[in-house]
Amino acid sequence: MIAAPQVKEHVLDAPDRRVPVRKNVVLLLRVVASLSLIAAATFILLRVVPVNPTTAGFLYLVAILLIATKGGIVESTIASVAAMLCFNFFFLPPVGTLTIADPQNWVALFAFLATSLTASQLSARAKRRALEAEQRRGEVERLYALSRGLLLIDVSRPIAQQIVHQISLTCETSGLALYVRGTGELYASGLGDLDVDAKLRDAAVRSSVLKEEQTNLTVTPIRLGGEPIGSIALTGNALSDAALQSLVNLVAIALERANSQKAVTQAEVARQSEELKSTLLDAIAHEFKTPLTSIKAVTTDLLSGTPDPLPAHQHELISIVDESTDRLSKLVTDAIQLARIEGGTFRLNLGVHFPSSLVNGALRQMKSLIDERKIDVTVPDDLPPVRVDAGLIQVVLTHLLDNALKYSPPDNPIKIGARLGERKVIIYLADRGKGILEAERAQIFQKFYRGKNERHLQGSGMGLAIAREILRAHGEDIELTSTPGKGSEFSFGLPIAPGAIPQ
Amino acid sequence: MSAGKILVIDDDPQIRRVMRSTLTAHGYQVNDARSGEEGLEELRTSTYDLVLLDMNMPGMGGMETCRLIRSSSDIAIIMLTVNNTESQKVDALDAGADDYVTKPFSTPELLARIRATLRRLPQLPGFADLRPLAAEGLNIDLSSREVTVHGRTSHLTAREFGLLTYFLARPNKTIPHRELLQAVWGPDYGDESEYLRVFVNRLRKKLEPDPSKPLFLVTDAWAGYRFHLPQPAPQP
Repeated sequence: MIAAPQVKEHVLDAPDRRVPVRKNVVLLLRVVASLSLIAAATFILLRVVPVNPTTAGFLYLVAILLIATKGGIVESTIASVAAMLCFNFFFLPPVGTLTIADPQNWVALFAFLATSLTASQLSARAKRRALEAEQRRGEVERLYALSRGLLLIDVSRPIAQQIVHQISLTCETSGLALYVRGTGELYASGLGDLDVDAKLRDAAVRSSVLKEEQTNLTVTPIRLGGEPIGSIALTGNALSDAALQSLVNLVAIALERANSQKAVTQAEVARQSEELKSTLLDAIAHEFKTPLTSIKAVTTDLLSGTPDPLPAHQHELISIVDESTDRLSKLVTDAIQLARIEGGTFRLNLGVHFPSSLVNGALRQMKSLIDERKIDVTVPDDLPPVRVDAGLIQVVLTHLLDNALKYSPPDNPIKIGARLGERKVIIYLADRGKGILEAERAQIFQKFYRGKNERHLQGSGMGLAIAREILRAHGEDIELTSTPGKGSEFSFGLPIAPGAIPQ
Repeated sequence: MSAGKILVIDDDPQIRRVMRSTLTAHGYQVNDARSGEEGLEELRTSTYDLVLLDMNMPGMGGMETCRLIRSSSDIAIIMLTVNNTESQKVDALDAGADDYVTKPFSTPELLARIRATLRRLPQLPGFADLRPLAAEGLNIDLSSREVTVHGRTSHLTAREFGLLTYFLARPNKTIPHRELLQAVWGPDYGDESEYLRVFVNRLRKKLEPDPSKPLFLVTDAWAGYRFHLPQPAPQP
């Protein structure tokens, strides 16, 4: 995707083809000026203050040094040759010719030429160095400005466009394109018809630099920790290689910073939505449970027989209301539990607990339902403590117990026990019911599934699904062994607490 | 004579109605308040034996109300909560409640909790022999239910006092969780280790010079709690 280059106004319209023409004119003018200076010097030395040849030679050298300091190597070299010719013609005998009589003067002439050429070279080199230093300083300043600009990037908006905008604001590039690998964002500006899409993607994947001479295009991968995270394409050679590398590094940091900011924002949004869901579920639970609370308080009070016992018929009717209230209340609890677990809005409140207290707690919660049933509890006291969410594990146990109570005949005992496994305490719950058919074993853990022959029994079909989800949150799972006709056993492991931590 | 005076604080009118009718029928004197703010005002003007406090109320909320009541009074508080999670129960106890009951509850269960909370402390074995205790800057006055640590005096709630006297009667002996729960809370209790954790912490805050490094109320890992007395209690 290439976004419309909205930032065109910032791209300097530096016309590549006009620059050399202007440069040549300037150079020509400089040469003319240098030659004029030599001519002027010759005129002064000949007509205004006549001097001997030695003095003339030195004064020519001074003129050439002046030209070399102000101008470049071309004009100072031309001026050197011109000065040598003038020196020979006007000052070395025989004067007025380019011939030299005295061989010593040949030496003087060449010494003069060598000196002037060396001086112009040295001077030009010094100038070049100064120019380069100036350029580096400019680049550092621009990179600094860029790094400040990149800090102000708004991560909620497309990032590539903003980075390209910042680069074109600070660096005088003629064309620029940025590709961000993570998001697939690509933004180009000032590149005209040049198609860089494929080249950018290629550079980002292969992590290699591409230079095209005829279009003056450089495509550089952006790496972070050795890993290519995007690529950048530039035309024009406004930047030195070192500056380009620094720019690429800055862009890499900006991209990474934007990424981590985005991750933080996303985590925050997820947390808020989780909180909202949780609050909503709490509110729903409260709204449903409040009327149930009044009903339950009334029915249980009437059924308690104090202060006055109810007549048999009324007792029977109120019992129906009471049982239905329990059923409705359990449905609400289950539905909300399931919503909470599936919505991921519950957190494990891990603590260290003894298996016996977990089992006893669950049995206590089920007290009203298990009154007439025979339950064998075998939880040795010497089992090590486990690290679990006690409330949720009790939910698991009550669902399994509820299941066993429902699906096994009332006179058959239910066994609950715990034994030591490998780095786990295994808790099992066995009934002597009809057992579960092979074909049904996987399905019973699915939401709302009810045994084929047990549809007449009360229940929400959510219990086993909830139990399994809770155990999975603990990194465990529930296992089922069943022999049709003999009964079923559900078992699960609980991780032993690391060390004996005092409560 | 009434069995006790109870203030019901709940925003739901039906629950207030049921509570008023039921508790009155069982011999309690009942009054109600629709919000935490109203409840606090009522408690300022009249004396009650027990507060039944709903956890989830608009406005101030049950938890904050509980904290405010507890900051100025050691009246018995039972919180009613819809949420059955352990953290919520611990929060309720931490806020100063003596007990909590999960909604929906059965009336006989609520009545049992109310009776257990209101019960005058039984003459625990050895209670009569206990003398005011003074050791290492700690001063416990059993008659006024006050403890003083390095000059800082705190008043104990009935439950805290019950727990402390049970400990004091058995110094330097590890007492299992279950025994403590059944002796101090009642025979129906035994697995609610969160009660003990919270109440022991509450006691520590009141009588330990540094609650995070307990000198007196020590935890014996996995076994129970022990009241450590540096010297034997002075005998008459």
